[in-house]
Amino acid sequence: MTTKDIGPKNPVQKSADATIDYVDERSGVKTGTRWFLFRNIPEGTSWFQTLGFTAMVVFGMQAITGIILAMYYVPDTRGGAYESIQRITEEVTWGWLVRGMHKWGASVMIIVVFLHMARVFIWGAYKYPRELTWVTGAFLLLLTMFMGLTGYLLVWDQKAYWATVVAVNIFASAPIVGPYIGDILRAGPEFGPATLSRFYSIHMLVIPGAIATFIGLHLYFIVRLGISEPPWSKRRLRIERDEEDARREAARERAKALPGAVTYPATWPAKAEEGVR
Amino acid sequence: MKPADKKAYDRDYALAKKTGKPFFPYAIFKDTIVAGLTIVGIIVLAIVVQVEVGEPVNPATTDFVPRPEWYFYFAFELLKIFANQDVLTPVIMATFMVPNIMIILLVVWPFIDRGPERRIWKRPFAMGMIVIVTGMLCYLTYLGANSPAGVASQGLPVGGLDEAGTAGMQVFMNNGCGSCHMVAGVGAPGPGPDLTNFGSKGWDEAKQIAWLKAPNPPMPSYASLPPADLEALATFVNGLGTKYK
Repeated sequence: MTTKDIGPKNPVQKSADATIDYVDERSGVKTGTRWFLFRNIPEGTSWFQTLGFTAMVVFGMQAITGIILAMYYVPDTRGGAYESIQRITEEVTWGWLVRGMHKWGASVMIIVVFLHMARVFIWGAYKYPRELTWVTGAFLLLLTMFMGLTGYLLVWDQKAYWATVVAVNIFASAPIVGPYIGDILRAGPEFGPATLSRFYSIHMLVIPGAIATFIGLHLYFIVRLGISEPPWSKRRLRIERDEEDARREAARERAKALPGAVTYPATWPAKAEEGVR
Repeated sequence: MKPADKKAYDRDYALAKKTGKPFFPYAIFKDTIVAGLTIVGIIVLAIVVQVEVGEPVNPATTDFVPRPEWYFYFAFELLKIFANQDVLTPVIMATFMVPNIMIILLVVWPFIDRGPERRIWKRPFAMGMIVIVTGMLCYLTYLGANSPAGVASQGLPVGGLDEAGTAGMQVFMNNGCGSCHMVAGVGAPGPGPDLTNFGSKGWDEAKQIAWLKAPNPPMPSYASLPPADLEALATFVNGLGTKYK
């Protein structure tokens, strides 16, 4: 767009422009923003296509509430873990709310991620060229479930402890590698203090890092390939109708070419079909 | 997908994009509304159904109900289904085979279903798959949510108890065995097998004690019990259905 120069600019705006230009020259931030935000998407995208973004926002909320909880949580089995959960729930200002949001956020995230996946599946949006977007998404679902598994132990109450003992035993029952996985998860042959700090580290460092990486890949694929069009968008339905018309027209032409074919007035079949439609 | 189909799709999508709208603000607008409502929903849930602090961990008393979070109920129920049939379909089916087959299918699905068709009614196989899998998951989760916690604490309807048998039954109840095993209709119907007729297997005490110390997963080890309790428990379980019925 060309603008007419109407005189010297406001100095504040001038320096802001200069700063943006300076950063853009070195980072390409303007191009990047255009690439990310101002790309075109097909018209008539559906409300069902908001679930992926929602899952990402819930993950962000889990990260923020998780950081706040980590400020008060003590991953120590010898009087610390359980007591710190009690302190967060009963003493810390808004602590019950932050813990409640983190706990409910986990359940909601599982549901949102599952619904998002069901949408992609039902629409066939995993097909060419978006196969790898699906694969990264499938890993994100598995990582989300591992988040739930490792986070469950941290409250260190009877229910969580014994459910996790059983869950780790399940992993350990796998043939050949199972016993090693069991030892890695437990940090040894027995459940104990080392197990809790290991789960804590997996829950707040390993898996979040993996999830962030996969979200990055997932987003890159989405922006690069574009979000899919609903299979029944107005545009698609119009194209399908036109194709159907062309097919019928061709069949009619073939019928006409047969020896001894009766020729109807050209307007008749078209009008009949108009009525059907 | 054939190369011609790929090209046709690329051309069609380019057209859709050309006649489309910019991501910002059209898609972001809807996204923000749904995500915002979801966060508000989470806050409301956190206020209405407040978190509680459970009982502190005590690895010495195994009086527990091993219940996972609701989104793992399906796996828990799967264990129950396979627990009572340890000959034809061992527990390894529930703990290893079924989950891993499902995970692999999930990850590689786009490479199995490669046809160009995207319309729902023209993909009966894919739609059948998702209906069956989702139905199974919902059904198993429902079963898990409604499964009785069933820890037998009042006593088991077992007759013919001698002194050793009574002591063994006490150990059985104090350690929450009933939260995984059913005896004569009392206790949870899984994940562990029904023990009503265990005595007919003819295990001796040494074999039973060895099992209790190092059982097959997912059953936890009871090696931490005092030797006298282990002996009583082994006598009790080995006599179920034969001596004690």
